[in-house]
Amino acid sequence: MNPAERRFEEIAPGRWRLGKEADRSMQSDAEVFASRAILQGALDDAAIEQVINVACLHGLVGASLAMPDIHQGYGFCIGGVAAFPADGGIVLPGGVGYDINCGVRLLASSIPATEFVVARERVGHAVLQRIPTGLTSRSACRLNKKEFQRVLSGGAGEIVRNFAGDAGDLEFIESGGCLPFDRPGVVSPKACERGSSQLGSLGSGNHFIEVQEVEEIYDPDAARLFGLQAGRVAVMIHTGSRGFGHQVASDYIETFRKRNLARLKLRDPQLVHAAIASAEGRNYLQALNAASNFAWANRQLLQEEVVTILEEVLGMGRGKLGLRLVYDQAHNIAKFERHEVDGRPLDLLVHRKGATRAFAAGHLEVPAAYRAAGQPVILPGSMGTRSYVLRGTGAGAALTFSSSAHGAGRCLSRHQAVKFAGHTDVRERLEKSGIVVCSLSSQGLKEEIPEAYKDVDDVVDVTVGSGISAKVARLRPLLVIKG
Amino acid sequence: MRNYETFSTTADSGIRFQGRGFGELYGNALRGLNLLLFGRNPRRRAGCESVPFRYCGDGPENVLVNLLAAALALAFQEGKVVTAVDLERAEPTRLEARLLLAPSRSVPRVEVKSTTYHGLHVVEKNGNLRAAIVFDV
Repeated sequence: MNPAERRFEEIAPGRWRLGKEADRSMQSDAEVFASRAILQGALDDAAIEQVINVACLHGLVGASLAMPDIHQGYGFCIGGVAAFPADGGIVLPGGVGYDINCGVRLLASSIPATEFVVARERVGHAVLQRIPTGLTSRSACRLNKKEFQRVLSGGAGEIVRNFAGDAGDLEFIESGGCLPFDRPGVVSPKACERGSSQLGSLGSGNHFIEVQEVEEIYDPDAARLFGLQAGRVAVMIHTGSRGFGHQVASDYIETFRKRNLARLKLRDPQLVHAAIASAEGRNYLQALNAASNFAWANRQLLQEEVVTILEEVLGMGRGKLGLRLVYDQAHNIAKFERHEVDGRPLDLLVHRKGATRAFAAGHLEVPAAYRAAGQPVILPGSMGTRSYVLRGTGAGAALTFSSSAHGAGRCLSRHQAVKFAGHTDVRERLEKSGIVVCSLSSQGLKEEIPEAYKDVDDVVDVTVGSGISAKVARLRPLLVIKG
Repeated sequence: MRNYETFSTTADSGIRFQGRGFGELYGNALRGLNLLLFGRNPRRRAGCESVPFRYCGDGPENVLVNLLAAALALAFQEGKVVTAVDLERAEPTRLEARLLLAPSRSVPRVEVKSTTYHGLHVVEKNGNLRAAIVFDV
């Protein structure tokens, strides 16, 4: 352990600070939102070293931040947040990650959980049959070059306009499900090739589709606005930009290296960056928008397939099922946002890697229907534990550039998780807890066992206790489809 | 340390490898990747397909990342595994080789999506060149 890492001080409940004087290369403080146990875990798995490495970057506004689901990533930790001035600042592909706009969307319904439970195995099997999941999953959705480019420009809206869905959904997607993209030349043919066969697929690893029951409401007013009712079914979809986003990230890390690495003194080469105003910086931001749009389109397509399956299996139309999009939020993204810094509004490029935007009540980017409550923050647990819906707060705006945790956060490596699971039949074990699990990969299920993740209740306690989000509802899994 | 081995981080997986020169280092990187993907290294087969790999970069780290990215594309997009490497030129900033391929007989055990530069430095220790690469999985 770097001696500097030992000097974290708890400056407020759940908020730990390492002053920049702890390490002569640090340009800014490091702040971690964590319980003592979560902080210790982050110290043990080198995530804190990554928070410190980000604090060594020039031009960082405020502190190098980590959310309560912090764990080791590459370059940035997962759960990391870093803001740079929009004017004169830098952009880091490593601060976004490879799975650009990996994110989660939540649908509410009026389906009683008791009725769904009877049909859930049929729903699970239909999802596995019709939605490509797992390693190298490819979609049946074949787009020609023009159609693919329109998806990159139009995001979720392109799907709604030309394939399926409700235009009303767009209001409930972060940034309306589309960021500006009008320069196809900034995306490599290889990225398009990887992406074109994967639109409408779930992928593998921690990607999932879950059908859940709204188990407990903590904030009835916010829950009412979000359309969440106790005892009713909700659907959660977690996936991203698949091979397309990965190729965009890889391409631009190479470009940034070629142009800038030699003159940058970096502790970790994964933190290579460029000026936002440089040609390569602007090109990356355009390509990032294209990958974000791909991811929103992907989740929109998956939503429509799941809704169709529910309609077919339950024998009712979407209207009768009361299915509506609560929110879709990005986890891996860099976005231009205005925040108050030292009492003044400042335009920033906020990087969130494995972290969620969480605007407070009244913010103009919160859908009008939710503006009195704040932005929904969807926080999935592991496949065997509860998930939460939170909302953004004013404290979050002040402390974390309106950012929050994006999940429970891993605490065991995949290898450790498989070893821990041993000969356990994960499906059988979860069924005993009332959860039906569908997956093509037994190995994948072992890698994703509940013990591989931090206790989601601890993560939520810190998130809420430190004030950066507030609890709205708790959801319990009924059916899990793992990639 | 073995010539190549796998390791895990909390969220991802990686390989460590070494070699007495750059040719061996690059070759062992590919063997480490096979070990991670398939749990073993397939044998070189007579008459198998080969493809050229030529890359000139800013250092061995850059060559390694691009070599492994090419092997990943072969594995995941074409279902092919690199069984051996016939080196033509292996230097710190350059690799010219033919990758000998065979159709993959099994599905990769893990979906490796990208090769990262995280903490990647080729170092010399006890006469061996060593490196570790973390993959996004």
